[in-house]
Amino acid sequence: MRIKNLFLLWILTACLLSGCGGRTDAPDTPSAGEPAQTGSAYRVDTLKLAGGTDWGTPSPFLHVSRGPGQSKMRLVFASLLEKDESGDVPWLAESWSMDGLDYTFTLFAGLTFHDGHPLTTEDVAFSVEYFREHPPAANTLGAGDGFLVDHCTIVDERTITITVREATADTLSSLGSAVILPKHIWETVEDPNAFTGPDCLIGSGAYRCTAYDGAAGSYEFTAFDGWVNGTPAAERVLFVPVSDELLAFENGEIDITSMPADLADIYRNDPSIGLVEKANDSGYKMLINFEVRPEFLDLELRKAIYAALDRQSIVDNVFRGAGSVGSAGYVPPGSLFYNEDVIQYPYDPEAARAVLAERGFTVKLLIDDGADAVSIAEIVRNNLTAAGMTVEVEAVDSASRDQRVNSGDYEFAIVGNGGWGNNPPAYMRTLFSDISKYSGTSPHSMGPRGYGNEEMTRLAEAQLLETDFEARKEIFQELEYLVSQEIPLFVLGNESTYSMYRKDWYDGWMKTYAYQQAEQNRLSFMAR
Amino acid sequence: MRRIVLPGGLFALIFVVFLWGAVLYPHSGELPSAASLEAPSADHWLGADNLGVDIYAQISRGFFNSLFTGLSAAGIAFLAGGVLGVGAGYLGGWADLAVEFLISVFLSAPQLPVMIVIGAFWGQSRLNVICIIAAFSWAPIARQVRARTMSIRRRDSLRLARSWGGGLWYLFRFHMSRDVLPLLAVGGVGVIGRAVVQESSLAFLGLSDPLAKSWGLMIARCTGFRGIYFTPYWKWWLLPPVVSLVATAVVLRMLARALEQSLLEES
Repeated sequence: MRIKNLFLLWILTACLLSGCGGRTDAPDTPSAGEPAQTGSAYRVDTLKLAGGTDWGTPSPFLHVSRGPGQSKMRLVFASLLEKDESGDVPWLAESWSMDGLDYTFTLFAGLTFHDGHPLTTEDVAFSVEYFREHPPAANTLGAGDGFLVDHCTIVDERTITITVREATADTLSSLGSAVILPKHIWETVEDPNAFTGPDCLIGSGAYRCTAYDGAAGSYEFTAFDGWVNGTPAAERVLFVPVSDELLAFENGEIDITSMPADLADIYRNDPSIGLVEKANDSGYKMLINFEVRPEFLDLELRKAIYAALDRQSIVDNVFRGAGSVGSAGYVPPGSLFYNEDVIQYPYDPEAARAVLAERGFTVKLLIDDGADAVSIAEIVRNNLTAAGMTVEVEAVDSASRDQRVNSGDYEFAIVGNGGWGNNPPAYMRTLFSDISKYSGTSPHSMGPRGYGNEEMTRLAEAQLLETDFEARKEIFQELEYLVSQEIPLFVLGNESTYSMYRKDWYDGWMKTYAYQQAEQNRLSFMAR
Repeated sequence: MRRIVLPGGLFALIFVVFLWGAVLYPHSGELPSAASLEAPSADHWLGADNLGVDIYAQISRGFFNSLFTGLSAAGIAFLAGGVLGVGAGYLGGWADLAVEFLISVFLSAPQLPVMIVIGAFWGQSRLNVICIIAAFSWAPIARQVRARTMSIRRRDSLRLARSWGGGLWYLFRFHMSRDVLPLLAVGGVGVIGRAVVQESSLAFLGLSDPLAKSWGLMIARCTGFRGIYFTPYWKWWLLPPVVSLVATAVVLRMLARALEQSLLEES
């Protein structure tokens, strides 16, 4: 990020000199005859959030597959369903029903894309088939033989039945969250990853992307006049580059930011500040690439590494006390699916040293260059050094680290991400099932490379087929226990954070039953 | 030489202060020895950072890391600038044209952006930082040395020595070094001062060893701490590396300037 800011300055200067602006301006909607909305039609004129990082073009194939990238795309591209605090709610689909393998959705009347073209079930069927051939960056439908959908049957312009190969507990949510592409644009696109330009941003979401500058990490979304299901909360949503988020928040440059734990007392006592708690939702894990370092397939070594790590000091010093050492079974304490009986690995430097010192390992540790990650890496390096290992740390920007982890170009790596508090913890399957891991490029798919476990795979897949809540929870908990026993990866800690905002300006920030990141939920941007 | 006393004395003072911190002061600059973000006290003179590592010990280590980087870069720049400058000035012709071209290229290239690109390309290590800084420091030295060599090349003593078969090394040692070496020395000290700042800049931008104890990295990690300006921590976490950096850079600059002036007076 720091490097990028400098590059940005440089590029900006270059652009100014040559008289160009490196901006992709999406075309204005030619929604003929409709008067432009005034600011008064919305609850607020603008909602401003911290930008500064390039999360990619907010199009289904071009965004960075992490929450901030996906959520921007999902403002522009609508899906059939959305989630609120307690369950699935209508988004493009007004109603839905399930019958065995058949999922029938009825669209709202009068839906249009941002270019004014009507949105019909033709587009829905087209999108499903398109994703079968070309998996998008945030893929909920699976790929290849694991593709969820068998076929689509268009009943009429507003009703479609999607027949799946296997109905599971998550099927409705998976179908409901796939975004809908405009057929009239995408039917001629052979390579979606190379399809850029204004047309790739024409979606059907409540907001249109009206400006995007990747180098600056700035985005502008403008409320879409043609949206039929409710009203967008703001006329414009802006992601603006800021140097210090808290200063920017205090100066009113942004409307929501995360609350530093050290200042919790001040902000908690401020009646004008609203908070969204994200309990144990962020987490850091350490991965070993067993393909490159197969000697660590020896379980005793992994136990010794856990014993070497003073994870409480990560919680105290880096998370500033706001969080927990997490669970060796991965699903964090506080989750509905947490298994409190998982094996604990307390800090025991002597025991670690007894196993590791004589082996004299030298490992390379890949991290991102964020301040927290570097601090965590310093603790991990000090701990492992004390246990007799030599650790060489390499810090790169977060996108490069993700790319290298996904391509297996690392020995040890530390990855941090949000969404650990997701309900249900569907990531357990994409992390620990040998069939399903690496099914995407998000951190939730960064499973242990070069490690396989049949029982783990069986449990991770079995939970999906279980529709009874209690029975499913039991499978998850059994899986967590197995993970804590086998240590395919190391949980370094979970951080509890808060998003804080000024209530008097806008208080619509929400978390869904499944996802706690208020800044990334669509309904946070809707008047409700 | 009187001009050098003040900046020389100040530099000696800085050196002693940090030598104390690195050698005699009881706390490690690498490992935690205090509570997280502990305030300055009799035990920890400048407090501790977020991981509990003593700040005074850390900036002392940072000083010697910076100085080592600066000295190494200056050494390379000294050698490269000297060899190329003398060679070009003395030999003239194609060699001179080629060196003059190289000098122009390095003087006109925007330094920081190129350094960032090279740094990002080569990866993070101190050796790379030294090489990058040296690559952008030799050109001004070489240009001065070249000009001086050209002016002394025509001296009778030199021409005579050459006609008696003196080689380039002989001529340099006995007929040119008196004029060229002080110039090189002044250039070298200037490089150390700049290198300290450049090393911190590159570290701040994340282009050095991410866990090295460097002023630039301390500043980067401190400013990356959420809400730092609304807590008291910046006073003992951010100020010491910033003050050290500014003081060292200013004193080294003063020293180079004083050397340069006393050189002018002598000649």
